[in-house]
Amino acid sequence: MPSTEAETGTYTIAPMRRPGRVAGAAAFVVPLLALLVIWEAVVRAFDVSPRVFPAIEPVVKAGIEATLDGTLIRHIGASLGRIALGTLIGIALAVPLGIAMGTNRAVSTFFTPLLRFFSVLAGIAWIPIATLWFGYGFGAITFVIFNAVFFVVAYNTLLGVTSIAMPLRHAAASLGASRWQLLSEVLVPGALPNIVTGVRTGLGFAWRGLIAAEMIATNVGLGYMLFVARDFYRTEVIVLGMIIIGALWLLIDRLLLAPLERATIERWGMVRAA
Amino acid sequence: MSAAAVSPGLRLWGAYVRWSARQPVLASLVPFVPVLVLWAAVVQSGIFPRVFLPGPIEVVEKFGTLMANGILPAYLEDSVVRLAAGTAVGLAIGIPLGLLVGLSDRAYRVLWPVLLFFQAIGDIAWLPILLIWFGFGLTTMIFVIVYTVLFPVVLNTVLGVRSVPLELHRAALSLGASRARVLWEVVLPGALPNIMTGLRNGLGFGWRALIAAEIIVGTSGIGFLMFDARRAGSVVEILLGMAVLGVLWYVVDSWVLAPIERATGQRWGLVTR
Repeated sequence: MPSTEAETGTYTIAPMRRPGRVAGAAAFVVPLLALLVIWEAVVRAFDVSPRVFPAIEPVVKAGIEATLDGTLIRHIGASLGRIALGTLIGIALAVPLGIAMGTNRAVSTFFTPLLRFFSVLAGIAWIPIATLWFGYGFGAITFVIFNAVFFVVAYNTLLGVTSIAMPLRHAAASLGASRWQLLSEVLVPGALPNIVTGVRTGLGFAWRGLIAAEMIATNVGLGYMLFVARDFYRTEVIVLGMIIIGALWLLIDRLLLAPLERATIERWGMVRAA
Repeated sequence: MSAAAVSPGLRLWGAYVRWSARQPVLASLVPFVPVLVLWAAVVQSGIFPRVFLPGPIEVVEKFGTLMANGILPAYLEDSVVRLAAGTAVGLAIGIPLGLLVGLSDRAYRVLWPVLLFFQAIGDIAWLPILLIWFGFGLTTMIFVIVYTVLFPVVLNTVLGVRSVPLELHRAALSLGASRARVLWEVVLPGALPNIMTGLRNGLGFGWRALIAAEIIVGTSGIGFLMFDARRAGSVVEILLGMAVLGVLWYVVDSWVLAPIERATGQRWGLVTR
């Protein structure tokens, strides 16, 4: 019986019964704490040179130091500002365009290969030309993020709109829905799960693009912080930066994107399936 | 009749739509024609200086010279070999690890948060410390690609393993299958569609990581070609590099990965449901 799968799960593993919030957080944090202990133990046991890998203490010190003199906040602020701006512009342009292209089947089959081609290129491959067009700095990096988000979201929106069953659109139209109602009550909600998936994928590309672009083309931001630290063999700053990059992405993905995706798929995915 | 009211343009469009339904491969190429024409027209109009935006013909000419003097084939080979080697290693580590984490509750509880965290750090953030460890070279680039391919494969393998219904395990075991056979004939095939999805995602990220690594490490490869051209201010080669990257990935994705994914989905997809 397929429907019982969620309850029984596979043997030995079982999608565990959902623990409480605190227990859940603990189950997540404990392995990471264990990792910290292993890290410290290995560094001590093998007497690893700080030029190869730092111990925990220098990393914490570097963190406190960078926080106190304000550079860390400046780097994080610059990175987050760029990603927010690029993403917002990308979504704002991609969703209407995707929907417009998706409403007509012939138009959408025409544009699908184009969008696929460009969503394949989206992100890092644009760094060389972006730095040439906009110069090193804010413009080039924001452009790289923008196009990582734009093409992926536009492509997914297009897929989402074309996946809406024709009978639904005809039904709405024959019940006297205006063009606007068709758009706001059938097309957008129907495409929403795909749009959100597109945003999640696009942001994944954009985040990596951001770090790469900051290493290459600027003088502020997390990627820059890491890359400059490399010049001076300051591994503690590099590791600090990596941890911050990981933590920030986990926060963005878990607290912003995953709930959004779950909400739209639960809300609208069910509607479509039923 | 209503047909008389249809404009010739629309009728042509209708003919194109009917034709393209029969020729999917050619039809996916046709949309690029107006883009190329538009590009050439914009360049001709001189809105942007030619140095900033060269035309398609110049890019094709450059393609010819770089093919003739052997630079492009050599760089292309470098990039593809790196990607293939990194992907192979990533799969070789990722699938067994995914099976372990998917099948063992204990391994899942210990490793899952760690995997999520390392996945979040992202390949490119490793570049600075990798450069310290391994210097500017092949090891650094392979490491980045392995890292990038590994996580989507592991995470999706776990999902796939966990989606195999308990009944199938029990059925195979009660029919006398050994644990190894259950693994080989039930779990692995059941997880295959997810593994393929993981591979496809991983390659999508790995591809980008490779370009970034080649730009930053900068010894050879398509990414290097593009960034070297950027330093010299030669847009033609950048555009050529982008076109090559796009075409190559398009070919790999739609002629290799998508068919495999479809085949595994059709063959095994029903089993997991």
